Amino acid sequence: MINILTGIDSTSAALNAERIRMDVVSQNIANVNTTRGPDGRPYQRQQVVFESVLKDQLQAGGGSGSEPQLVQIARVESANRPPRMSYQPGHPDANASGMVAMPDISIHEEMIDLMSASRAYEANLAVVKNARSMAMQTLSIGKR
Amino acid sequence: MNALSALRSLAYPALRAEAPLKSGEAGALKNIPFSELETLSPGIFPLEQSRAGGSSFENTIKSFIGEVAGKQAAAGEAVTGLLAGKNVSLHQAMIGMEEASISFQLMVEVRNKMLESYQELMRMQV
Repeated sequence: MINILTGIDSTSAALNAERIRMDVVSQNIANVNTTRGPDGRPYQRQQVVFESVLKDQLQAGGGSGSEPQLVQIARVESANRPPRMSYQPGHPDANASGMVAMPDISIHEEMIDLMSASRAYEANLAVVKNARSMAMQTLSIGKR
Repeated sequence: MNALSALRSLAYPALRAEAPLKSGEAGALKNIPFSELETLSPGIFPLEQSRAGGSSFENTIKSFIGEVAGKQAAAGEAVTGLLAGKNVSLHQAMIGMEEASISFQLMVEVRNKMLESYQELMRMQV
């Protein structure tokens, strides 16, 4: 297999991981007011955990130490924060004292996460662009 | 890869095709079969020799072109998968297309270089 854009595998994996991270953040933002999830409890903030994996581990057989390390989503974890109680007596999910358990999601925190994920995505895109332009410039050695 | 041997194997098929025409007035030369030429001067046609064993350069070029075609096919597959709504992300398709385009340009550069040196050889005064 010819390797035209070297190191692009890690970048591609990172783009994938950051994409999923952005998806999870958007899911958190979308569910900021969800008082009832599939389990009947308020929505729990989700967090992604990245892990690095050697490229050869994805394929069959073990890898040596010099293999490129890819990043992938190890798991998506619930933050398990206690719900934020707000007084909304008319709400269908309100308890006897009129308090509704809302997810403890801070929009500001999620926006920071979103910005950080999209900046990381952009950084990886810059790596792709750089690798491409380096390859094109190297090919232009042969031109007259 | 030895550039000279590559050039030789590139140049000789054409030489063989043109040689009888150029030496047409010689007459006698025209009648010498090429099999005899080879026995007179072994190794004059490296391509012919290597056909038996398999030329490394020829195989290299062949497998390279095969890989370029494979990259094009992979890029096409990724784009089709993306458009069909399969589990292909945008960057995968774009990176695949970029790799295919760069390897294609590399192939074109290699071809240009080989043709250039072949023409340089053909212009050489004997």
